[in-house]
Amino acid sequence: MLRPIARPLLAALLPLLLAALLVACKSDSGGSRTPTPAASAAPPDKVTFMAGFKPQANLPFVGAYVAKEKGFFAEQNLDVEIQHVNTPGDNFKFLGLGQVQFSTADAATVIERAGDDPPLGIVAVALIGQRGQQGFAVLADSGIETPVDWAGKRAGYKGSQPTPDFLAILNAVGVDPEDVGTVKVGFEPQILTEGQVDIFPVFLSNEPDTLSQLGYDVTVFEAAEFGAPTLGLTYVTTRDYLAQNPDIVLRFLKAALRGIEYARDNPDEAVDIVLQYAPQEDRDHMRFMLDTELGAAENDLTDENGIGWMTAEQWQELHDYLVEFGGIPAPLDDVSATYDDQFIQQAYKDGEMDWP
Amino acid sequence: MSQTLRSAAAYVLPPALTLIAAFAFWEFWVQWRDIAIIVVPPPSAVWERFVEDPEFFWREGGWTLYEATLGLLMGSAFAIALAVVMAHSRLAERALFPLAIVIKVTPIVAVAPVLVILFGFGTTPKIVVAALLSFFPMLVNAMTGFRDVNPGALEFMRSLRASPWQLFWKLRAPSALPYLFAALKVTYPLALIGAVVAEWFTGDRGLGLVIFVANSNLDTPTLFAAIGVLALTGVSLNVILSVAERRILFWHQTTRTVQ
Amino acid sequence: MAGAEHHVSLRGLTHVFRDGRRALPVDRQALTALADVTLDVAWGQFVSVIGPSGCGKSTLLRIVGGLLRPTSGEAKIDGAAPAAAQRRRDIGLVAQDPALLPWRSVLGNVRLPLEIDRAARDRPAPSPEELLELTGLAEFRSYYPHQLSGGMQQRVAIARALAFDPSLLLMDEPFGALDEISRASMRYELLRIWQTAPSGRKTVMFVTHSIPEAIALSDRVVVLSPRPGSVRAAIDVELPRPRTQEMERGAPFLDYADQLRNLLKEVPA
Repeated sequence: MLRPIARPLLAALLPLLLAALLVACKSDSGGSRTPTPAASAAPPDKVTFMAGFKPQANLPFVGAYVAKEKGFFAEQNLDVEIQHVNTPGDNFKFLGLGQVQFSTADAATVIERAGDDPPLGIVAVALIGQRGQQGFAVLADSGIETPVDWAGKRAGYKGSQPTPDFLAILNAVGVDPEDVGTVKVGFEPQILTEGQVDIFPVFLSNEPDTLSQLGYDVTVFEAAEFGAPTLGLTYVTTRDYLAQNPDIVLRFLKAALRGIEYARDNPDEAVDIVLQYAPQEDRDHMRFMLDTELGAAENDLTDENGIGWMTAEQWQELHDYLVEFGGIPAPLDDVSATYDDQFIQQAYKDGEMDWP
Repeated sequence: MSQTLRSAAAYVLPPALTLIAAFAFWEFWVQWRDIAIIVVPPPSAVWERFVEDPEFFWREGGWTLYEATLGLLMGSAFAIALAVVMAHSRLAERALFPLAIVIKVTPIVAVAPVLVILFGFGTTPKIVVAALLSFFPMLVNAMTGFRDVNPGALEFMRSLRASPWQLFWKLRAPSALPYLFAALKVTYPLALIGAVVAEWFTGDRGLGLVIFVANSNLDTPTLFAAIGVLALTGVSLNVILSVAERRILFWHQTTRTVQ
Repeated sequence: MAGAEHHVSLRGLTHVFRDGRRALPVDRQALTALADVTLDVAWGQFVSVIGPSGCGKSTLLRIVGGLLRPTSGEAKIDGAAPAAAQRRRDIGLVAQDPALLPWRSVLGNVRLPLEIDRAARDRPAPSPEELLELTGLAEFRSYYPHQLSGGMQQRVAIARALAFDPSLLLMDEPFGALDEISRASMRYELLRIWQTAPSGRKTVMFVTHSIPEAIALSDRVVVLSPRPGSVRAAIDVELPRPRTQEMERGAPFLDYADQLRNLLKEVPA
């Protein structure tokens, strides 16, 4: 006959047992060790790369996945742990606390974060997306052919207000923002397909394909098509880490960029690798995402200098654009504090990757 | 033998039939109103998706259940230990109860990233979230249970100069059991939800992550299938707890049917 | 063991209830449960205490049992304070609520006192099994309280109260929650137990508000006045033992009943 009295005793002991369990479970968050000069003989440096969203075929993520699986990180004597966040923006907390060393961020976000008080010290070290990743989708059969037709329609925005891209497009085609109804929306594209809004903000490499696979054809408008100097995803680290471990930053970047090059040249294999990290994703969709982002990663600048290249002009133009269209409340004192191009410069010699 | 079958049938058939009717209505409704699959999928599509790879759902569900269970154990252990202390000291109760309330009202959304920072990636932060959610209901019920003793029995044992220790083991602890079981029935589902939400925010495994990814891909059949597995898990837990309760609490009026 | 002249001796017992932390109301009369109770109970005597509701019968019993200290006056058991008898485990208590532990079997409940006080085991006392025999519960030892009727549960409570073979039994309306028929048979069951208990006649103080019950059971019936309770009268019941149910229809019994009824009806001075 079960003695009911033994149970509270067990229950009282359990906190101790489970506290011990927790201590054992606490995983290594992957801090770095100071690199020793003789790189080949020394044990690999442990760092953590945190992708800015769930596992998928965003190009900077792919670079890290491929670099890990194909051994590029190992060749650079790095032991890289790859993590993800589900809520965009959480990765900055981890960066700021030094729990992770590398992450990804949209270039505009890097500039926005630079205005924090006190700033997290986030610095972009490579510009993967040479064009912005956001666009605006309308249903193909909606009758909207150009943004001129946005007048009198309803547009959704995801943040706290319509984005600079939205206002820049209207400005370019001469439509008064007051003539377009705006409403705050969530992330569900059903809002567009069910007709709650006529114009819906999307990621160019993502929702248009998802929707089209489900039978909803969309037309997409990009601010860059209308002259906006938008920029896409970057690799980021912190100012402090960069100052203390420039060698590791360079080695990380070179391996990741080599991973992107490999993905460009072997897209099917790259998608296979992505699916290892994202088993729930659809193969074709991942391929679409990869192809789209590869397309946005290459332009004359990168053909000449290498993928990930960035110039002071690009950042300054983006900054001024954000100021003009309300993306940041006030100009930054020093735009150049948001990026550091020394690594990109060292990674390439005459437009070719300087490997290893 | 046929008596047990008949009573089992009487127990299972009404909810089963109701569910079947509900699903039939749902299927019909989606077709008739021509509802887009990315808004609400028909049950047939959900079932199809589930049957494609049931192992996937059970495996992920297993992770969520594991996190929820460990979290429940941990939260309950702390809650009961604290309740024992508070039952014997009003001062302790006054000092500690406000802290318990703070734990109760803290939203997971805010806490989840902090937990990952503290406990790393992996299952630990989800376990902690489940523990946090389990803590308060178990605490309140344990406290009430330890106090709600038969006054006649208490006086009788006191007349025999029973020590506080004896009073606790022989009287208070067994008296609290019905309360603890009642709390468990409420808390286990809470712990499940906590694990799912934690996985949503910081996931690398589990149904919470499945739901998150499916949602981001507009994959409603997977989304609903995952929810269905969660619901089934919750119901099964309830049944198991009820059965256990009836065996352990055979002496308590709540587990006896009206004669 | 029989040291003092009387087993239980009460002198000028007064008890005033203070209501927790709140200040005393102006009217002290309302909270005075007992006023100047003086009473002797002889060894081996069966004494009933009877009175209207609220007259302090239970309070009286609790003071005798050492559960309550009287505001003033004296209660002595075998010439010493009740606490001494309590420490010797020489007092058995049975209340209106049998207060059995529902998760324990009948045997488990009867064994409870021995588990709590292992030291008292060394005194010669009947084993739990013997107590079950005595109270007619032998075949129910594996039953649980929820499977027993109210009368049976009280039998278990009685067996439990006899665990240390006390020489004094205090019973506070033990049959109050039973139906009329069970009440009637239980009183004779109690008498049987009292008479056949191996180690000699125990002294019993039995609180009730049933006149027939008091007469059938007792050697002496003490009548308390309404609140504040004091001893209005005491009647010796000189019916032969062993008592039987038939006696309840006889003239002597009915006479006593009349006497008691009149005593209870009288308006206090």
